[in-house]
Amino acid sequence: MGPSISLNNVSLCYENNCILTGISTQLEAGQCHVIMGPNGGGKTSLLRSILGLTPFNGEINIHWSSSKGKVGYVPQKATFEPSLPLTVLDFILLNQSRYPLFFKTNKKHKENAIEQLKRVGMADRALLRMGQLSGGEQQRVLFAQALLDDPDLLILDEPTNGMDDQGVRYFESLITEFVGEKKTIVVVHHDISAVRRLDAQVHVVNGILIESGRASEVLKAEKIEQLFSHYRHAPTQQTKIHSVNRKSEAA
Amino acid sequence: MDFLRLWASQGAQAGWLSESFSYAFMVNALVAALLLGPLLGGLGTLVIAKRLAFFSEAVGHAALTGIAIGVLLGEPPENPIIGLFCFCMLFALILHFVRNRTAVPYDTLVGVFLAVALAGGAALLMYVARKINIHMLENVLFGSILTITDFDLLVLALSCALIVLGLIFTFNRILLASISPDIARVRGHNTHFYDYLFVMMITLVTIAAVKIVGAVLVGALLLIPGATARLLTKSMGSFVLLSSLLATLSCLIGTLLPMELQLPIPSGASIILVAASFFVVTTIFRIVGRNS
Repeated sequence: MGPSISLNNVSLCYENNCILTGISTQLEAGQCHVIMGPNGGGKTSLLRSILGLTPFNGEINIHWSSSKGKVGYVPQKATFEPSLPLTVLDFILLNQSRYPLFFKTNKKHKENAIEQLKRVGMADRALLRMGQLSGGEQQRVLFAQALLDDPDLLILDEPTNGMDDQGVRYFESLITEFVGEKKTIVVVHHDISAVRRLDAQVHVVNGILIESGRASEVLKAEKIEQLFSHYRHAPTQQTKIHSVNRKSEAA
Repeated sequence: MDFLRLWASQGAQAGWLSESFSYAFMVNALVAALLLGPLLGGLGTLVIAKRLAFFSEAVGHAALTGIAIGVLLGEPPENPIIGLFCFCMLFALILHFVRNRTAVPYDTLVGVFLAVALAGGAALLMYVARKINIHMLENVLFGSILTITDFDLLVLALSCALIVLGLIFTFNRILLASISPDIARVRGHNTHFYDYLFVMMITLVTIAAVKIVGAVLVGALLLIPGATARLLTKSMGSFVLLSSLLATLSCLIGTLLPMELQLPIPSGASIILVAASFFVVTTIFRIVGRNS
């Protein structure tokens, strides 16, 4: 079972620029939570705050059901120099163990690595250099890396960026599988139709938390333009919308 | 070592080894080359992956100041190891510390540090020159196999053992921390620790290589075998192994060749020229192969 995550008045400012202000919400355990919002709205910053990769004000607590579980993370992108002879298999293996890449490959490690690559449809590319892959293929390998430890919490930052239809299908079927296994998934996504297919909990962020709820409720055609406008909402509006949400939940 | 030197001397007398092997310093130099080659080659792959080529050059050049400080503080001019070690280590750690706390691009920062270290070294050498024969410094800067002692070999062996052990346990993590620091941190790895550890390894190997390759040229031996191996290999494992092999061959051939041909070339220069010839041949081979 994946953990629940509570955010209490989370703010993130760099010098005079506030990226996030007063984010308070609860991400329930065993569900898929999609963070959406316009570019520059603070989606990635929110994920990085949850992961502890960036300093923030406020409180974020990850509540594990028993002992602390494993976390899988797919960053928005990683830079792979094309001329560096780092193969797809090398990249997965170096995430997997300390066993140095210049020693003879451990058979068990290799089998596990290939198994994860199969899950994202990349096993046949295991011996290609990471730098030779397209952006979408690299995302699939990064996704395979996140699956290595059978994580209970998956945090994915725009994992389908640059992916073709086949890649997106692999991704969506894995997400469905993980939700079935009651893992908690937090994913930044910008494709509204893809999010509707996932039918996840959607949290719209634009500096503040604009709205939270089921995808079918939040992503209504008449709301989309307002939710995803680049105009930054003032903190007072957050309180207003939230109070409306609370009332509607109570009703 | 005595047994090895005796064995080489007997081999030379019996005629199945070259006459060069009858000299004790030659055996010392070859042992040093065998210790240093694989290590520099292996570390060089990480230098390339982490894009730290300019950094390793800067640490090598900082040795000039370290040597001058050591001599000024009363160390023996032919082996000012404490001044060299302390200054190079401080130089590398402060550079890395500032890098993590400034928005100045890394290559610019290294350039500034390099210039300051060289200028400081040049200024101090004026004072050192009054104390010693300035030509002695050439041995430290460009390497001299004649000056390798058993003590140097012991320091080299200990440094190599320490670095190899560290590299075996941390290679994957150092590499991951450079490719994707965020993934490394989520996996619980302390990326700052691995960055500093690598910086210390580079500095230590630079100091250990001073006698044979020379402080100024050691950066080149960290870089050139790796650059050659990168052109020829398809996986990280073979990259490290080939780079180590090329660096070892460069060290051995570069040490032997001037002796055999009786050329008055410092060992460091000769080693780098051999390593560079591998690179040139490989590059030509690749260009011709691509065009045909």
